[in-house]
Amino acid sequence: MASPLHIPRVNNNDDSVRIVDLGVSEGDFVTRGQIVGAVETDKAVLDVPVERDGYVLKILHRAGETASVGSVLLWLGEIATERVPEQAPAATARGTAGGTDRPTAKAQAMLRELGLGANVIPAAGARLTVADIEAWLATQRQPVKTAGPSPRPTPEQAPSVPGEYRDLSAEERGMLFTVLWHRDRAAAAYLEIEYDPQPWNDYAARYAQQNKLLLSPLLPLIAFRLVELAKTTPRINATAINDRRYEYHAVNLGFTVQAGQTLYLAVVQGAQEMNAARFIDALGEVQRHAMAHKLRSAESSGATLAFSSMARWNVSRHISILAPATSLIVSHSASRGSGDAVLGATYDHRLLSGFDVVQVLQALTQPPA
Amino acid sequence: MPLDREAVKSAIRSKVIDLAKALNIDASGLGDADIIPATGYLDSTAILELVVWYEQTYDFPLKQEEINIDNLGSINAMADFLLSRKRG
Repeated sequence: MASPLHIPRVNNNDDSVRIVDLGVSEGDFVTRGQIVGAVETDKAVLDVPVERDGYVLKILHRAGETASVGSVLLWLGEIATERVPEQAPAATARGTAGGTDRPTAKAQAMLRELGLGANVIPAAGARLTVADIEAWLATQRQPVKTAGPSPRPTPEQAPSVPGEYRDLSAEERGMLFTVLWHRDRAAAAYLEIEYDPQPWNDYAARYAQQNKLLLSPLLPLIAFRLVELAKTTPRINATAINDRRYEYHAVNLGFTVQAGQTLYLAVVQGAQEMNAARFIDALGEVQRHAMAHKLRSAESSGATLAFSSMARWNVSRHISILAPATSLIVSHSASRGSGDAVLGATYDHRLLSGFDVVQVLQALTQPPA
Repeated sequence: MPLDREAVKSAIRSKVIDLAKALNIDASGLGDADIIPATGYLDSTAILELVVWYEQTYDFPLKQEEINIDNLGSINAMADFLLSRKRG
């Protein structure tokens, strides 16, 4: 169930604080004790830790804003797609209409059944009643049930075969979030085209020789071509928000890096400002950081467009998962027996048509003239 | 303790052979002056792993512009570059 993180009191004399820093975004996974921001008054600055693990569902304030002590800073949930209650009382002033939220016996039984806390629901009178809960549920567009099973998703049952639970690592939780976003938010589709990889191979070999590169620039050069295409076709560097297309100003290119058992999406921020040489350097840098498991925060978040290759493992078809809040990931694969290779793309069909994506892929199959 | 050139070369060669082995390639014939990317023993990702290992093993952070054939293209080049910078 979603739970609020309230804005803490810094000192007794100030009922409002200024939010000076907010280091998380909606969709991020945070762990208990993690500092997600800081608030200040004229007298002091206070870090704001979270009290539980969870996904940041919704942020209600921005850095620089002034907010009331006890108001909700953000909502956390066990899964990234949980609903956020539309109303939430302040932590320091629970209840509404001048009353208390102490529930009646019937209301308490109903709360237990629904798995809800009394502090989430405003009371119209002195005590929280069944009518208050039903009114609140109606605003949440959830079915009102006064009997029967809880409307919450039924927890998965452990398999009958003996085993034991293992906590997911931060990277695994990130992967879980990505896959859930792909499943629940995007209208993901996939297509691929075959092409002759020789012109790209020749181009990359010449480039490497001219620039005395140690590492093959083939994949970085194809990824850079994708960045160039995003500059002229902004719809591929976008996401859908509330039935509108949100086109990013920057092209932050996410590039998958397999470092041992861990898969990272290493991000080159601001790639639209770079030329090929600078992009190859920037990508090389984040790849090295990923390989060393030392990606900085900005190097592992904020992708607006993505590229992945599994050619190294001779994978000839590779249907990638969309990175959260992106509409396109291009998948590079190994050459097939015929000598042709495949470029695939997973795309968000809410924003892009197959025709849009074919045009991008066709342009990508040829190196610059 | 000063770095020994032959020991450094030996460690680099062992690492290359290990990385190649993970790709089912026998790199035991690698010569000290062979240009590693040109031998085909290692693909680009494995070379990147080699570079990261080199930085970590010798506590030798590299600038991106230093990662080129002249400095790191062969076992000899890697050893010489390391020793020259550590001594410099």
